[in-house]
Amino acid sequence: MGKLYDLLLEDVRFEEGLNACMNCGVCTAICPAAEFYIYDPRKIVDDVQTKDDEKITELLKSETIWYCGECMSCKTRCPRGNAPGLIIMALRSLSQDLGFFTESEKGRQQLALKRTVGHWMITYGYCLYLEGVGTSMHPEQGPVWDWIQDNWKEVFKKMGANYQGDGPGILRRIPEEAMDEIREIFKVTGGMRRFENIEEFSKKKAKELNMQLDDGIENEYFQHIYKTNNGSHTR
Amino acid sequence: MGKHVVVIGGGVAGLEVAGQLSKIGFEVSLIEKDSRTGGHLNKWYRLFPDRRRSSEVKEYLNGITANNGINLMTDTSIEKFNRHKDHFIIITSGGRELIADAVIVATGFDLFKSARKEEYGYGIYDNVITSADLEEMFRRGEISLTNNTIPEKIGIIHCVGSRDEKVGNFYCSKLCCVTAVKQAIEIREFLPESKVFCFYMDMRMGGALYEELYREAQEKWGVSFIRGKVSEASETIDNKLLIKVEDTLAGRPLKMKLDLLVLMAGMEMSEGGKKIAGIGGLRTGENRFFAATDNHYGSNKSNIAGVFYAGTCTAPMNITETISHARAAVVEVIDYLKDNN
Amino acid sequence: MILEGKKAVWNDYQKEIADDKYYYVRSCVRQNFFPGSETAFLKIMREELNKDVYEHPCHTSCTGIVYHSDLVPVETTMTVVARQFALMTEAGYENLMPSCITSFGLYTEILDTWHHFPEVEEKVRLQLKKATGREFKKPKNLAHASDVIFKFRKEIGAKAKYKLINKETGEPLKVVDHIGCHYAKMFPSKGVGGAEYPYVLTGMIEEWGGQIIDYPERRHCCGFGFRQYLVQANRGFSVACSKEKFESMKPFKPDMIITNCPGCPMFLDRWQYVINEMEGKRYGQNGEGIPVFTYEEVAGMVLGYDPWELGLQMHQTDCEPVLNKIGIDYSPEDKYNLDISPSYSKKHNLINV
Ligand code: SF4
Ligand code: SF4
Ligand code: SF4
Ligand code: SF4
Ligand code: SF4
Repeated sequence: MGKLYDLLLEDVRFEEGLNACMNCGVCTAICPAAEFYIYDPRKIVDDVQTKDDEKITELLKSETIWYCGECMSCKTRCPRGNAPGLIIMALRSLSQDLGFFTESEKGRQQLALKRTVGHWMITYGYCLYLEGVGTSMHPEQGPVWDWIQDNWKEVFKKMGANYQGDGPGILRRIPEEAMDEIREIFKVTGGMRRFENIEEFSKKKAKELNMQLDDGIENEYFQHIYKTNNGSHTR
Repeated sequence: MGKHVVVIGGGVAGLEVAGQLSKIGFEVSLIEKDSRTGGHLNKWYRLFPDRRRSSEVKEYLNGITANNGINLMTDTSIEKFNRHKDHFIIITSGGRELIADAVIVATGFDLFKSARKEEYGYGIYDNVITSADLEEMFRRGEISLTNNTIPEKIGIIHCVGSRDEKVGNFYCSKLCCVTAVKQAIEIREFLPESKVFCFYMDMRMGGALYEELYREAQEKWGVSFIRGKVSEASETIDNKLLIKVEDTLAGRPLKMKLDLLVLMAGMEMSEGGKKIAGIGGLRTGENRFFAATDNHYGSNKSNIAGVFYAGTCTAPMNITETISHARAAVVEVIDYLKDNN
Repeated sequence: MILEGKKAVWNDYQKEIADDKYYYVRSCVRQNFFPGSETAFLKIMREELNKDVYEHPCHTSCTGIVYHSDLVPVETTMTVVARQFALMTEAGYENLMPSCITSFGLYTEILDTWHHFPEVEEKVRLQLKKATGREFKKPKNLAHASDVIFKFRKEIGAKAKYKLINKETGEPLKVVDHIGCHYAKMFPSKGVGGAEYPYVLTGMIEEWGGQIIDYPERRHCCGFGFRQYLVQANRGFSVACSKEKFESMKPFKPDMIITNCPGCPMFLDRWQYVINEMEGKRYGQNGEGIPVFTYEEVAGMVLGYDPWELGLQMHQTDCEPVLNKIGIDYSPEDKYNLDISPSYSKKHNLINV
């Protein structure tokens, strides 16, 4: 008992996030995710504090750890000074390190995130790099976004941006030397390893599900995880 | 005997100590910062668990302190406090110097300042009140909202300012659960059409007849008990209070609209107590109450020989316990002065 | 509602905000969705307030979205943040001023973690050195860009061309504020006014003539939730959160929403469009939506900047109702005109110092 708990303890956020829980429900009461999903952060904290490997394994493979929106509203209020949001971040990290994330529909989405925001970050130096990301992926962006996409460079010029230019400014091109530093940081600190892990376990899962998974986003597995919602997550 | 004992604080503990000591024949000075004695008792309408009027206890205390030659100083606080050989020199705010052979600190507690739980909006939202405010309404004989209408749905929040790291109070105030139960019953008595909800984490019914009162609240008065600490309150356009809480037994978040919200404010070391601790070099605990020399058999003894504690300046206590603790302090004083001739 | 009670809370949370020589770090959400806001911000800081604001060409995203999508270990984010600090140190600045709330929250959290776990800071220093050869000093002052506008709200008010007042009725505009969750929910003492009744936007609105309206779901998250929005399958969460806020604020008849977080204005803006498409429901008056603004846009508006240079045409929910109520002088027909007026194109944001 307690091996997984010890692994969680290696994450400084876990150490910061958990003192002891008295099951008061203050976190769940204001949690936006608990209002929408079948989700109870109090329960997660209580399960974790049992230190029981079986319970923690179940959590690491579950849907429930992926419902949190990391808004940290729970941290403001917990009368025991816990931060369920931080505990969940530690659980999600461990779930990916151990390859358990592909066991759940919501967990499998990590690949979609890695191949969008993760990719943009280490390629351009921006978490969001939206030229060409149109309303087919983001219909909610509405007609104004189509107009922006159609006139991207002119719109950004009008807004005083330095789009893909040298020097400072909005959406400037970040120099290659700077990007090399960022990628080196990712290597040294385990960011790259996390990325590789996500790819590797996702490929395994795609094979298991008999789905095609190539690079990029125009493939069966990516589209599947990006769009599928089996409808069992909400009340 | 003729020994002089100064008692600091004229609440339940201080009055009991002063009364008993003077009965035995000590010369007693009783210092009270307010204009009248009685402390929190003056604000309370009825007492748990039997819901007798608080004025009856007040009468008892007045009785034992009357005609015993107690030197009562109201509107007085203490400015200086020094030990000199085997006696104490105390300077009051009025500039008087008192020489005492022993001192009893009975500075009591302050109610937690509920505005510090910002998320409940005390002092911001119109119809959020404390347990003390509600007693005031009981004494006036009417429970009404700021727009003078009668509340129908009333929520009572337990543990406000207690068991809460966010406000720096780790301890349980011990009396607020039973106060909530008592007040819930009284609200139902006053307003038979009302619905009352208590939001609790644990029902700490550890006193004589408390559990019975809890059961009565459920069976006879239909009070609902929901296990969950309220997370926040906000004000709606129709001047109601929207609260968010988890019904932890059902495992789901809950939103509820209420007319009136009553906060069970906890107990804290009093400001007066803190001041005396500072000027007198008296030790306090992590919970900021006075720290007695031993939790089990020295709960009246301070770190200074000749200074003793009585009542809630050391920990939350109900009136029964306070009076017992005060009497125990009397024994300590007798014992101390007997050796100290 | 008792205002005195709120004032007492505001008094409890005073925050130290540097008054010059800022090191500015951009927000990727802002840059993609509200570029005009960052441009206006720098124009206000440099030209209206004559402040020294420096932007390093080599700084990057803080990784905030990647971090909150759980794609990197905490050490990765800490080290990228340490690199931002290093660039700041090398440039000779010590007052860090992020444009992004998530970023501000992240910097605050990291500094707090390092405070409690100095060994983590040591490790990050070594990792940064190893990866980039750089070293850093921690910022002396950390204030979000909205804190700084708050600090200078009076100066801005004094230069204002317009007030947030309905010119027909003479009444102040009713404004709802939305504070980004990561502004103060993690560390209430780091926000102007604390976490429960933040004053940062309220102070601006009051100063510029408007009236702040409180409403029950004011503290509720807009629903970004990172993965909850970024992955299409999860977006129901995001729209449900925003909808809850709209439903809750509607009875108070707000004229506009002001935000200090890069993401929220986009969500509050776009989800109104989606709800109208799906349910035919609008939350503003006269069958309109409720216009949503960044605080930079509001500052720019009262200073009389051209709405189309502020980027208000990049909103999906029309802002014109507010422009008309205030009586702002603008040309409706130029909304989608992409010609650049010579007066505004001095490339403000390209000039350091
Ligand atoms: S608020 Fe804190 S103590 Fe209460 S249930 Fe949540 S984690 Fe546990
Ligand atoms: S951080 Fe996660 S668990 Fe906490 S309130 Fe936000 S969504 Fe809920
Ligand atoms: S007595 Fe009850 S209400 Fe009071 S602090 Fe203890 S548990 Fe909370
Ligand atoms: S937190 Fe803000 S600055 Fe950092 S990556 Fe995200 S949007 Fe960009
Ligand atoms: S309100 Fe929305 S965008 Fe802003 S911090 Fe919260 S989740 Fe992020």
